[in-house]
Amino acid sequence: MASTESSQPKHFLAYKGKFRLFGLTIDDCIKVFFGGNAVVSIVVLTLITYFLFREGAGFFGQNRRNLDIYRRAGLEYVDYIRTQQDDHTALTRYLSDLRLRQLRYLTQERHLSLAEANAKLGPFDDFAEQYGDAIEPIRTIVSDLTEQASAIKTKCGVAEDKLTERQQLLAEGRNADAGRVVVESVDFAAELAPIRATLPAWREASAELTKRISQVLVTAPAMPDPALQARLERFKELNATYVAGFPAIQRRLETWDYTKPVPAAQALTSFIFGREWLTASFWQDWYGVIPLLVGSVMVSLLALVLAVPLGVGAAIYVNQMASPLEQRFIKPSIEFISAIPSVVLGFFGIAVLGQAMRALSQVSWLSWVPGFPYSERLNILTAGCLLALIAVPTIFTLAEDALNNVPRAFKEASFALGATRLQTVIKIIVPASLSGIISAVLLGFGRVIGETMVVLLCAGNRIAIPDFTMGLGVVTQPVHTMTGIIAQEMGEVVQGSIHYRALFVVGILLFFLSLGINYVAQAVVRKYRVSIG
Amino acid sequence: MVTAAPTLMETRPAAPVLPPRPPAAAEPGPAAPASALAPAAETLIDIRQVDFFYGASQALHDVSLAIEHKKVTAFIGPSGCGKSTLLRCLNRMNDLIDGTRVARGTIRIRGVDIHQPDVDVIELRKRIGMVFQKSNPFPKSIYENITYGLRLQGVTNRARLDEVVEKSLRGAALWDEVKDRLDASGLGLSGGQQQRLCIARAIAVEPEVILMDEPCSALDPVATAKVEELIQELRSRYTIVIVTHNMQQAARCSDKTAFFYMGRLVEYADTRNIFTNPANPQTEAYVSGRFG
Ligand SMILES: Nc1ncnc2c1ncn2[C@@H]1O[C@H](COP(=O)(O)OP(=O)(O)OP(=O)(O)O)[C@@H](O)[C@H]1O
Ligand SMILES: [Mg+2]
Repeated sequence: MASTESSQPKHFLAYKGKFRLFGLTIDDCIKVFFGGNAVVSIVVLTLITYFLFREGAGFFGQNRRNLDIYRRAGLEYVDYIRTQQDDHTALTRYLSDLRLRQLRYLTQERHLSLAEANAKLGPFDDFAEQYGDAIEPIRTIVSDLTEQASAIKTKCGVAEDKLTERQQLLAEGRNADAGRVVVESVDFAAELAPIRATLPAWREASAELTKRISQVLVTAPAMPDPALQARLERFKELNATYVAGFPAIQRRLETWDYTKPVPAAQALTSFIFGREWLTASFWQDWYGVIPLLVGSVMVSLLALVLAVPLGVGAAIYVNQMASPLEQRFIKPSIEFISAIPSVVLGFFGIAVLGQAMRALSQVSWLSWVPGFPYSERLNILTAGCLLALIAVPTIFTLAEDALNNVPRAFKEASFALGATRLQTVIKIIVPASLSGIISAVLLGFGRVIGETMVVLLCAGNRIAIPDFTMGLGVVTQPVHTMTGIIAQEMGEVVQGSIHYRALFVVGILLFFLSLGINYVAQAVVRKYRVSIG
Repeated sequence: MVTAAPTLMETRPAAPVLPPRPPAAAEPGPAAPASALAPAAETLIDIRQVDFFYGASQALHDVSLAIEHKKVTAFIGPSGCGKSTLLRCLNRMNDLIDGTRVARGTIRIRGVDIHQPDVDVIELRKRIGMVFQKSNPFPKSIYENITYGLRLQGVTNRARLDEVVEKSLRGAALWDEVKDRLDASGLGLSGGQQQRLCIARAIAVEPEVILMDEPCSALDPVATAKVEELIQELRSRYTIVIVTHNMQQAARCSDKTAFFYMGRLVEYADTRNIFTNPANPQTEAYVSGRFG
């Protein structure tokens, strides 16, 4: 059989074998080249993920130690008493606010001059002063204890530094040098004794405070207006609750035990649910992500609220209503927005938008808008507006794609039944592409929550949970964000320190957030495919 | 019957509008196939000397044709000869394509030129239903598909919608097959059922004319037979224009046949004449399959 078919197939085989490179045929080489590119990206992704987790994982151990020292050095004990002082300060602030309201009432409603009004407020000022002085004994105790506890904490720190130094020397094999490093172990029981000895003094001070508050409250002068009187009554109620909390503080102080170990889970929960992010503090560092998370989410949500109608509306217009000429103009223009470097947008936000919005908020006939007028130029609103600009191209492009994927036949059928353009869009086109639009919005959300430069420049960078009691006006407050804090602090932290690792954990959280958003977006699209086919 | 239709038409009182349809008195009599002896039929759609352009390319040349009331008119001709184009001119679906225009000539429905600027194209399309070559139910339930047109007209009365759904599905010979799953997606039906659903959707709004663009081209012989049967039933109540590549279908279903070639109307006559005794040699070549 082979002989009858002559040399033709043989020649063909020989031809293929001629071009071999390291034993690979051309086809194999091409395959290796493209396959290699894919592998490289996957390897890089894996490495990044691994690095992120390796650097971040150490945080929890360090944070637990951090919390442990907080307890052992007595800082926790002092902070129990400090809450008493802080709550009193908050109440004093309530009084100042009340004074301001009275002053406004007297000058505006009663038409008194400023001097007259101030004179009239004399009794109230006396009252407020006495109320403020009531805390003095406690304040003294707190400031004494703060010094002592700080001293213990410093000793702990020194001991720990020495320990690491010794370990390092041992690791380098310099045993002699290591032996010379003296590690003073801290005797917590002895160190804490003077702190705990202040308990009777505190009890006395606390009883004194209770007494003085009740005495002062009776002397409160009557308010000139029923509404203000109601506020004063509210103040008295608040004081009642405040004083009622003292026994609980006392119980906590009495049962406080510095040897009780900090639960391992608290290293995690104090991060996830922690309401304070406080670093490089002389007292105690806190790594609670909530203020940053809330900041990021607030800014991103505001951005979406602005960007979704714009992006989806523009997509519907371009896809369904615009003439070809308009399409040729609008599409590239919107896509061009994404070509603007975000730092330029941020700069614009600081120099123009923030300024302009603040000026707008101070226009008197706009004062009904929640949160207006405001004085912080950089806030959620400024950052949100600019982020919206960043989200619009993403949402627009993807939503336009989704609309484009709606079969033309649906549209024709709708028109043939006598639908208007608007009816067709609302009843057929948008429902048919809804999941695509939702996924566009989600990806827009993913885009803005990861955005860094604009929020760093324009969100105001105040690490605090905004005051939600303001309602919608909350958007006029400055916040800090997860991306912003990483960009801002990563450059200054000591590598390997708890702060450094905390930033990595924030990065991991961000990573999971984006991952989740992308996953949901894809799931939505997948579901849509099934329902159409 | 949608008795409100005439008022919906009159967007601007002074404008020339399509006259109201005649009262629904014309009882559906026994389906009488057209014959040369029948009394002169009433012209519903009068197409005169139409030239049609897609941008710069001309798709129709000087087409004149009178489509008769309550008759089935078939458009035949080789691919690309302009059958669909003409069909889509009748309900102005070509308006949706950029750059199209009727450069010359008029199309009158009951004497009203449908290209007058004052004509309400929405109302025009309500009264001229269309069934497409490829079945295109909406990605909604069967019920929603059928009631779509009525809901557009603002009908929300549930009892009335139910009634129309049943009537239309019965009219489209689909009721028995889907009556238990009206809430299922229209896309879940077979190709033939989908096409009948589209016909049901078109007749739900009680149009006067139904345009069908190769309604059976994607269907198997059984489904095709069903649709043809349906056309037989609908012919007594509606004016039907059907585009087809199937000569037997044209011969079976239609009263009159128009043969197009290269954008021109070559011959238009009673179907029987076209198939047995065509006047034009091109027509003869085409219907006997010797074309080319
Ligand atoms: N959207 C369009 N844009 C430009 N030219 C078109 C368009 N639709 C159709 N044409 C052209 O107009 C001419 C007539 O097309 P038409 O669709 O009416 O043919 P047809 O007779 O329906 O053919 P078929 O039997 O294949 O459906 C063809 O030459 C076609 O190329
Ligand atoms: Mg066609």
